Amino acid sequence: MQSNQRFAKVAVLVLLATATLASGETRKEFRFTVGSHSSISIINQYGPISVKPSTGNEVVVIAILQSDKVEVDQSKNGNRIDVVSHLLPGATADNGRVDYEVTVPADANVTLHSTTGPLHAERLHGDVVAEGAAATVDVRDISNSHVHVNTLNGPITLTNITDGHVEITSVSGNVVLNHVDGPLVRVNSSSGTINYDGDFAFGGEYTLTSHTGDIEATAPTYASIDVTARSVKGQVDNEFPLHPKTHSSFPMDTVRNLVGTAGKAASSVKLLSFSGKIHLKKR
Amino acid sequence: MTCAEFQRVLPDGIEEGWTTQQESHLGTCSACSSLVEDLDTISTGARLLRASDEPSPRVWNSIAAAMQQEQSELELIASEAHALQAIDEPSPRIWNSLEIALKQEGLIRRPQREQAVVPFMQRWRMAWMIPVAAVLLVLAGLRLSKPSQTVIELPPVQVVQPNADDQQVLEAVAKRTPAMRATYESNLKNVNAYIRDAEQSVKNDPNDEQAEQYLMDAYEQKAMVYEMALDRSLP
Repeated sequence: MQSNQRFAKVAVLVLLATATLASGETRKEFRFTVGSHSSISIINQYGPISVKPSTGNEVVVIAILQSDKVEVDQSKNGNRIDVVSHLLPGATADNGRVDYEVTVPADANVTLHSTTGPLHAERLHGDVVAEGAAATVDVRDISNSHVHVNTLNGPITLTNITDGHVEITSVSGNVVLNHVDGPLVRVNSSSGTINYDGDFAFGGEYTLTSHTGDIEATAPTYASIDVTARSVKGQVDNEFPLHPKTHSSFPMDTVRNLVGTAGKAASSVKLLSFSGKIHLKKR
Repeated sequence: MTCAEFQRVLPDGIEEGWTTQQESHLGTCSACSSLVEDLDTISTGARLLRASDEPSPRVWNSIAAAMQQEQSELELIASEAHALQAIDEPSPRIWNSLEIALKQEGLIRRPQREQAVVPFMQRWRMAWMIPVAAVLLVLAGLRLSKPSQTVIELPPVQVVQPNADDQQVLEAVAKRTPAMRATYESNLKNVNAYIRDAEQSVKNDPNDEQAEQYLMDAYEQKAMVYEMALDRSLP
């Protein structure tokens, strides 16, 4: 009986080893010691990048390479670290994929590039730049920093961004902002939808613009906002209690235009769409 | 001895010295003595010229070669001009247009008499190709150097479909990441449509701040797409 169990364990181990060898996966780990406010750039053509905070002053990059058609180049110059997936001849989206898991000091500034993504960053208070044509981008729990995201059709989700300087540009990716506040929050979309759910706090400037994509904004009734909503060819629906403004720079057509204030109108909120539908709701 | 007789032997006297008779004439004739004095001054100055002041043989050779080349070119032009057939000559309409253009540019003036035109035309008929080309070049230069006085309003560019720049970008994407070409093409169409609508919106109301915002956002999107497509930092 015991010999059977032993044989089974050995067989499983052999199978796992064989599977790993057959897949051609390689795990590489790079460690760098950095000072405060270091800069880490990860450029990956195919595959995800995930960045989380570390407790010390060390940057740890774990890279899982799918095949020998890709290699990882890394360099450290002063407080700046560059990691690049280097595709070799014959590389494809499958065998050129590298999965990155990165831990950085919380105050580090990170720049992430991946065509396919997904890109993920969380619990940092350094600047975050995420860019990927088709990459799904998920950034959460960031404070006191710049968050810049660019995608073509990759969907973007930002959650719990406090006191942020947020700039998002996406052509057709849907953008979801949950509890995103700061002095500047700007979303520029073409056909993707924009969904904002937050307080419009910090006396900031919030500008959500789209071409054909719908814009939906939800705020609590205590929000202090000065709202301008306009859709040139679409429709503007409002469920939020606003005080009307008598003066406006554009024609007061209540179907396509909306201006009004709530509270002390501390934050400027502009919801602009060319032909998308705009919906302002109360939470 | 008369002055005429003296001046006939003047060169010999200067080279070989004066006879008693000639010296006697010089002593009595102020005109001849003044002439001899001038010739002596010139002769002395000429002797002071050194051989080194003369151009070297290399300079003389260069001048001779340049003159020979110029002569060859002139002969070539002349032979080409003679070889021109009547059929090669520009039509009277072209001559008239050329004349009008030259007059407008102030390069020629209206002839006072008809006879003055004939040699002008004849000269041009000899080798019309060279002057025509030269005049065209001059006119083109003048046109280019003059500020345009009339604004030509071009029709708005329709950018809904990928244009030539877009095609180049798409080719670059296809070369690097073939699977992404369709994504980029689709998104470029989106952006181009956005630009078209935004431009129209601004055109409808140039004072509309929101319309300007749309336009800037649309162009920002296009810039982002281009930048992303051509990002050399990507592997």
